[in-house]
Amino acid sequence: MLASIQTCALKGIDGFEVTAEVDISSGMPTFSVVGLPDAEVKESKDRVIAAIRNSGFDFPLKRITVNLSPAELRKSGTQFDLAIAVGILAASEALSEKAVEKAKQLLFLGELALDGSLRPCAGVLPMLISVKNTGKTVIVPPANILEAQTSTVPFVTPRTLRDLADWLEGKKEDESVKVSFLPEQEEQSISSLDFCDVKGQAVAKRALEIAAAGGHNVLMIGLPGTGKSMLAKRFPGILPPLCEEEILEITKIYSVCNLIGKTKKLTHRPFRDPHHTISDVALIGGGSTPKPGEVSLAHNGVLFLDEFAEFSRTTLEVLRQPLENGTVTISRAKETVSYPARFTLIAAMNPCPCGNLGNPHKACTCSPMQINRYQSKISGPLLDRIDLTVNLNPVQYGDWNKPSEGETTAQIRARVISAREIQQKRFKGTPTTANAFMTQKQIKEFCPLPAGADSILETAMRKFGLSARSLDKVLKTARTIADLEGKANIENTHLIEVLQYRPLDRKGVPDL
Amino acid sequence: MSISEQERLARIRINAFLYFRADWLKRLIDIFGSAQEILKQDAQTLAQQAQMNPSTAAHFLRDAFAVNPQEELEKTQKYGGRILVPEDEDYPQSLRDIKEAPIALYVLGKLPPNKAYIGMVGTRKITAYGRRVANTLSTGLTQAGAVVVSGLARGIDSECHSAAVRLQKPTIAVIGTGIGRCYPPENRELARAILQHGGAIVSELPFNKPPHAFHFPRRNRIIAALSELVVVVEGEVKSGALITAKLALEMGKDVLAVPGPIDSPQSGGPNNLIKDGAGVVTTVKDIIDYIPSPQLFDLQMQETPQSQETDESLPPLQQKIMQFIATSEVSADQVVEEMGLSVQEAATALFELEVKGLLSCKAGLYSKSKF
Repeated sequence: MLASIQTCALKGIDGFEVTAEVDISSGMPTFSVVGLPDAEVKESKDRVIAAIRNSGFDFPLKRITVNLSPAELRKSGTQFDLAIAVGILAASEALSEKAVEKAKQLLFLGELALDGSLRPCAGVLPMLISVKNTGKTVIVPPANILEAQTSTVPFVTPRTLRDLADWLEGKKEDESVKVSFLPEQEEQSISSLDFCDVKGQAVAKRALEIAAAGGHNVLMIGLPGTGKSMLAKRFPGILPPLCEEEILEITKIYSVCNLIGKTKKLTHRPFRDPHHTISDVALIGGGSTPKPGEVSLAHNGVLFLDEFAEFSRTTLEVLRQPLENGTVTISRAKETVSYPARFTLIAAMNPCPCGNLGNPHKACTCSPMQINRYQSKISGPLLDRIDLTVNLNPVQYGDWNKPSEGETTAQIRARVISAREIQQKRFKGTPTTANAFMTQKQIKEFCPLPAGADSILETAMRKFGLSARSLDKVLKTARTIADLEGKANIENTHLIEVLQYRPLDRKGVPDL
Repeated sequence: MSISEQERLARIRINAFLYFRADWLKRLIDIFGSAQEILKQDAQTLAQQAQMNPSTAAHFLRDAFAVNPQEELEKTQKYGGRILVPEDEDYPQSLRDIKEAPIALYVLGKLPPNKAYIGMVGTRKITAYGRRVANTLSTGLTQAGAVVVSGLARGIDSECHSAAVRLQKPTIAVIGTGIGRCYPPENRELARAILQHGGAIVSELPFNKPPHAFHFPRRNRIIAALSELVVVVEGEVKSGALITAKLALEMGKDVLAVPGPIDSPQSGGPNNLIKDGAGVVTTVKDIIDYIPSPQLFDLQMQETPQSQETDESLPPLQQKIMQFIATSEVSADQVVEEMGLSVQEAATALFELEVKGLLSCKAGLYSKSKF
């Protein structure tokens, strides 16, 4: 007997429909899976055998062939278990004809435990979205319910293979067919981490506000204990709320990585802070079966790299593509996939290896060579993609002792949101989402220089060694400052403020 | 008195043996009559005649024959430089006068004639105070027509040279590597600028000699010898700057010191010198007054306007910031918080002060660049 059951597979963060064809014929008892299955798909055989037996069915001792079609696309993941098991039950006539007819109209996703219960699998949301227009009802493991709800696809969540079979037979009333709905969007809770907790550091706070308003990347350089991490952790709080489309994008990525439920609600902007020993692949994504990396997990959110100069040089260099394009393309011999990776980079580093350069109370023990080597780990091209650099100096005891009187996250966020609204109007109908992502043409159009700006920029080039290449980022950032003030055009004071956030002069050579 | 080309080449050879002081080499030349004669000896005779250890003599010959003097000359000339020996007319008289006069002196650019050479030395670990002082003194001296001699090292040296270069005036760098190299490498641009504005880069080491710790005390004697007097701006109690000061005293030159905060390690050196009787420098005039025979040089003290006066032409906010910064190092944050400004107001004022050259910013800290 032959049965074909629909299921889904993933390519990148998009799903595609897969037909699991199961043929049972007489002959030596064998069980083979074909159609470019990865290791976890091949292993599904053993799970399926045990699950079928432990659900009270007989496993047919015949020649079983499973073909996952389209056969030329590589298939990975554990979601095929359920479709294969249902296919075997159908082909071995353990299910009634009526039940098989019903099963053909459905789509099955789920990993099987040996006792027959359904386990969650990765990538449910993108797979569901890809089959949305087929109108099929989907069988989803109960643990993936959040994604199923997000996808607005009709779904059923049986607990076990036995429950599913009973439901197909009509023996059990279907109490689990859910009407799809989006989870209600909660207002971001910003109570625990607030900007007013951070004493002093007015310049850094201002830089972060600008970064949030225009999507700019920030590098914070400062002595240990000056509040770099504290500020970075509060940064997501001042970002504008996510729109529905963004929520969906993020949820898809987290779904592919099987991280839903393990992290906070996806209505929050993600905040990722990988350790500096992270490998290139873990940061950027990849592997022989490509998986999204930290940059994609930070999509529409924040990637915080603490101890920026301690990351390996190659790891830092791979950041260049996502910082430039907002996507990561991973090419492997078997396939090429793209993952979205548009994030705000917040990097933090010490000014020197010992961490005391510029400390008024403690002498730096590094040689100029060491400092140079340390700071030049951040290459020029990478620095060019960082619009704002701030120096954090130790907070004076007097400041630390002051009662909190700084602005709260809510106050800053209100300004950020209004600046973003101006940008949304400005970039309507273009792929650009914020000032930081303006194209050359848009910079020309939206950033006209005020009178007198020429001499300021010329001085900056001469005195601070500002490169012509970094002029663009000065303009973009100045545009954001103007937006924060609700000004139609960039003014000279805006340009000058941006120059305050220029990178450190590298070598400490006196001006000539 | 001049010497033959052959002798010059031989001198370049023996000059390459860095483990002998220059006066020892001179003694060898005196014993054998000429450098060419020395090189004709084998290690055995050399050791006997000059009463050296035979292995040292062998080492000496090995090092001497390891250099290609012809190539040294060609390379130096390619860069527009010369290799001077004491017999040359251009060889500075002040160097000829000392006991350890360099056997060969590699000079890029030219040593400005009839100028008062003032040695300015100090620490590599410069403080904002040292930077301000070095900058102001070097600027003042250069404007007065003196030539600042220093060592092209990081810190005080670089500050002194670049102040002169900014005025497009000559300055002399005596370096601790061969003239074919630049150490520290970040000063390459500065070295180029020194040559461009009529200054000189001087070394007694073979053309491509890399930096080595023992080269630096050695070159300090050249700084001391070239200078009419030596000014120590900043320096730890044990530092190269103090070696230069000691050498200058031994040569009978005046050593002046810039007093500094008594708790600053970088001012320990000059403060100790003052205790021992060194001249105290608080103005450019103090230095000029110490020049032994000022009538030999065309020196014009320019009235350097005091910074208090220039402050008055500033807008009120910038004046206040200058007063707030005073002699300390201050971050933009402090300006914002202590003075109750917005980040933008502070940034604008600081930018303008920096552009006017009144402030300089290092590692995010602003300090006055002049006093």
